[in-house]
Amino acid sequence: MHPARRSTLGIAATIALLAAACQAPAPQPAQPSAPQQAQPATQEREFITWYQYDETNTDPKSDERVGNEYLRKTIPLFNEAFKGKWRWVNQPQPFDQMATRLTAAVQAGGEVPDLMQSSDANLIPFLKNGVVQDLTDWIKAQPWFDDLDPSAVAACTGPDGRIYCVPVAMTPQIVFAWKDYFPNGYPKTPEEFKQVAEQLKAKGVYAITFFGSTAFDGEGTTRFTNTLIKSFGGTFDDGQGNMKLDTPENRAAIEFLREIIAAGYVHPRSWDGTTTPFIEEEPMKTAEAASFPTGIFGYRYVNPLKAPNGREYNKGNEEDMLDAITNGDVFIAPFFAPEGRKPGCGTGVTGFVIPNGAKNPEAAKDYINWIMSKEQNPDWVLGPGGGFPALRSMLPEIEARMPVAKAFYEQAAAAVAASECRPWYGTLERRNEAKKIIQTAIFKLVKEDPTADISAVLKAAEEEYNKGN
Amino acid sequence: MATQLPLTSAQRTTFANRIAERFNQTLPLWLLLPTLLVLAVIQFYPGIYSIILSLQDRRAGAVEWVGFRNFERIFESAIFRESVGHTVVFLVGYVLVTMVASLAVALLLNQRLRLGGVYLALLFIPWVIADIIVGLIFGLLVVPEYGLLSPILSNPTLFPPKGLSIPSDPPPKPWIAGFPFPPAPAMVYLILASSWRALPFITLLLLAALKTVPSEIVESARIDGAGRLQLLFRIILPLILPTMVVALFNLMLGGINGIGLVFSLTRGGPGTATEVLSYLLYTIGFQRLEFGRAAALAVFMAVINLALILLTLRVSRVDERTT
Repeated sequence: MHPARRSTLGIAATIALLAAACQAPAPQPAQPSAPQQAQPATQEREFITWYQYDETNTDPKSDERVGNEYLRKTIPLFNEAFKGKWRWVNQPQPFDQMATRLTAAVQAGGEVPDLMQSSDANLIPFLKNGVVQDLTDWIKAQPWFDDLDPSAVAACTGPDGRIYCVPVAMTPQIVFAWKDYFPNGYPKTPEEFKQVAEQLKAKGVYAITFFGSTAFDGEGTTRFTNTLIKSFGGTFDDGQGNMKLDTPENRAAIEFLREIIAAGYVHPRSWDGTTTPFIEEEPMKTAEAASFPTGIFGYRYVNPLKAPNGREYNKGNEEDMLDAITNGDVFIAPFFAPEGRKPGCGTGVTGFVIPNGAKNPEAAKDYINWIMSKEQNPDWVLGPGGGFPALRSMLPEIEARMPVAKAFYEQAAAAVAASECRPWYGTLERRNEAKKIIQTAIFKLVKEDPTADISAVLKAAEEEYNKGN
Repeated sequence: MATQLPLTSAQRTTFANRIAERFNQTLPLWLLLPTLLVLAVIQFYPGIYSIILSLQDRRAGAVEWVGFRNFERIFESAIFRESVGHTVVFLVGYVLVTMVASLAVALLLNQRLRLGGVYLALLFIPWVIADIIVGLIFGLLVVPEYGLLSPILSNPTLFPPKGLSIPSDPPPKPWIAGFPFPPAPAMVYLILASSWRALPFITLLLLAALKTVPSEIVESARIDGAGRLQLLFRIILPLILPTMVVALFNLMLGGINGIGLVFSLTRGGPGTATEVLSYLLYTIGFQRLEFGRAAALAVFMAVINLALILLTLRVSRVDERTT
């Protein structure tokens, strides 16, 4: 072939290839009209959710087995209730990456779910990044709105006064304790605690285990540090959005913590969550530790259990803890506080957000109304919610339906009533950053260098956060 | 209206030749075009977008241009300075341990060993395991109650005064204030795990280089009375130096950007003892959702990477001229 002709052919082939690549997809052959006419007027559409649970995971040892089982049971019920309208498709997400993935998906204009399970801790980052829909007008028009606990609504309310999430369960912080180790109830004051802890130490038992590591971006702040600090009358903020740590109350709390660690009352697993997440729960399960301050949701995870008296609770689900409480082996108590102070207690809510860009927000709203019904709400609160119902009228309903949960809720309610419960973050907006800074400072003071100047480390932590304001 | 005359046969041939000539001249560009398009989408656009993002603060539905404020906030934060220190400690440890161990293994495998191929195949196991899995396995090894290494680590005779806990033992007091050396046990463990993961690839690189060392040179050095160490340091290492430089920079780039093992093994802890720059970037961007600040840190790290790459190229050129 002549070179010129070969080149011309080459050009033509290249242009053809490029043209083919850039061309819009060829139209599909027209669908016959008859089947379309035969379809129902309202076609069943997919309703996509993001939960931290996976209904296809049937592993009985999975850490999320309670939520997995809940979804397995509930998805068919929803699909039956909304047959011909919605078909629930759940896309499981790792709990510590859900917020990030949703933010990335919304900002990239990608596929977002119609609804995501979320806690109030994500609210500010979501608002800052324009991730979630304003639900104020809709939620206020729902028949169950007036039944919501005002503190739960407040937790879902942004700085602009608008409501951005639907609270379903409230998750205050409480203490799980073995009755055999505390026959006279949980200590009321730090002094009482030290006395009992000394006696327990003589028996080879650690008085307490808690989330003390800096894992999960400082999650220990919400699960233990906040309870301790607030019980001593301390705080993390100045009420104006600035971090305020160097206070006499906070210093007293940290000195107390140093003291009980040095005395050997704290189980060493409290710090090991760095390489083995949630390992601090293990000493409570085996009764090597006598008490475990954590979120009320702990009842779903702290199992199986072996009581100091040898009784075993090994169903491997949330009923183990509920059974142990009903039998009187475990009890729930408020944390201790110095004389004249009320124990501190963090609280939060879990519920739902509807992301911007959701294809079927109406499905999400139908779903939320379904979950808020008397038939469904108790199961959600006991399953994925892991706490008190945000709907105040639901508590008797739950107790009636699950007698095994009655003692648990009664004790938890008494513990919360005896405490001063409020969200740990106060007026701090950058909550994820704040909790890491706080927990790192505490870790430095009590673990890395127990002789370090408390005031200096707390001041440095404050400055680190406040520079970003 | 002017009438266009049809082209003659000669004119048509000239025109076709001109196009053909033009096409032949630009053919390399046409061939590169698909690759350039792919690079533009997956490299240039995200890179430029990151630079833009680093100058912005994003709020719901609004973008605020903040100049270099994100950079200022990163550079003035204590955790950034700490992370730089941890990154340096990690890189030095990781590169040293990996290079020395890989060279030792490569020298061994370069001998005529029985079942040498089997050892090589076994050696490759760490390379095919994902970072996340390596992290989980190494994490399980040091769980205080049941980890395979816990009886050794918790032995107070070996690690006085009360044994060693990789997950929670804090770093010793630093020798120089503000610089995290000596490192925490968790950092040492992270270095060992990372080196174990990188060992096969570097070993293979060095082994390939060792195979190219002419046996005549080695033999004549031996005849001239060179001992083993002299042979290694005066003959073998200078001859495989170009490959070692490539391996060195490969390790440095992988070490500075790698996050999988930190994420799955230590999550930056205990405290901030293993919080290296790449993990800090992850936490700022993907846990705190502070995209502007994360982009600023990413740009800083890109500059470091670029400097390392340029250094590699420079060293390679110097090396080419000298060999």
